[in-house]
Amino acid sequence: MKINEYIESGILEAYVLGSASEAEANELLHLKAQHPQIEDALFKLESDLERIAEHMAITPPPNTWAKIEGGINELVKTPQFEYLIGEEPKESSRGSRSGKSAQFIEVEAESGHMRIRKIWRWVFLAVFVLGKIFLAFAIYYYLENRHTQEEIEKLKTELENKRTK
Amino acid sequence: MLETTPHSLTEHQPESIRSLYDRHAGMLLGYIFEVVKDRKLAEEYLIKVFCDLSIRFNDVNRTGISGWPQLQKFAREKLLSLPDSPRYTSLNAGVKISDSPNSYLRQLTEEQRQVFCDVYYNGRTIADISRSLNKTEDLTRKTLKEAFAIMRKGSEN
Repeated sequence: MKINEYIESGILEAYVLGSASEAEANELLHLKAQHPQIEDALFKLESDLERIAEHMAITPPPNTWAKIEGGINELVKTPQFEYLIGEEPKESSRGSRSGKSAQFIEVEAESGHMRIRKIWRWVFLAVFVLGKIFLAFAIYYYLENRHTQEEIEKLKTELENKRTK
Repeated sequence: MLETTPHSLTEHQPESIRSLYDRHAGMLLGYIFEVVKDRKLAEEYLIKVFCDLSIRFNDVNRTGISGWPQLQKFAREKLLSLPDSPRYTSLNAGVKISDSPNSYLRQLTEEQRQVFCDVYYNGRTIADISRSLNKTEDLTRKTLKEAFAIMRKGSEN
C-alpha cells in the first residue's frame, strides 16, 4: 500500500470527523502504529479541526459554569441522575441505592417513595403499643366508673326507700 | 459496566470537567449552535452535555476524552440521542448561512458543504452519504478531504 495515496484518500479526515467505519478505523490504527507519516498527518488534522472549532467558538454567558455546577449538584442529590439525557436507568445506579437500604426503611406509596431513618420503626412500634395500653386502661376505667355510678344510684334508691318507710 | 455513584461524581470530576470546560466550552457552544441555530437552546444543550459528561466521568477517563475531537464526538452522540434530537439543517432547508458565525462554510461548494456538515454535525457515515449522493465512497471521501482542506486554509488566514 502506498502511504501517500492512503493519506490523500480522505480516510484520515473521515476518521478524525468520526465517520470512518469500524474496519477503516482498525486499519488506520494498525497503519498508524507502523507509519509515522500517518501519525503525523492525524495529529495535524486533529489540530486543524480544533483550530476550525476555535474560529467558530461562541463565548458562553458568564453564569454557564454555575448552571453546570448546579446541574451536577442536583445529580449528586438525585439518585436517578442517569435519566438526564434520555437514557434508561441502569442497574448500576440501582445497585448504589441498595447500599442505602441498610440505613433507611422505605415507606412505599402508589405515587413514589419516602425515605425515613430505621430508628423510626421502633418509635412507631412503641407509639402503637402504648396506644393499645392506654386504650385498654381507658376502657377499664370507663367500665369501672359506670359500675360505680350504678352502685351509687342503687344505694341512693335504697336510702330513699328507707327514709320513706 | 460504568460505575457511577454520587460519591464518585463529587470526588473526581470538578477540576477535570472544569478544565475541559475552560478549554472547550466556547468551541462546543459554537458547534452546538451550528446544529440547533438557536443561542438559548444551544446554551441549554451545552449545560446538558457537561452534566452528562460529569456522570460519565469515570468512563471518560478510561476512554480519554481530553481533546476537542473526542469531546465533539461525545457531544454529537449526546445530541443525536436526545428524544427531540436536533439535526444540522442544510442550506437546502432554507437556513441562511449568513446567520451563522461560521464563515468557513460559505467557502465550500454546495456538495462539499453537504458532505462536511453531514459528517461533522449529523454523524452520518461516508457509506450512507455516498448512497444518498449516488457517488462512490472514494469520491465522497475526496469531497470531504477537499472541504476540510478549504476550511483549514480559511482558519489559517
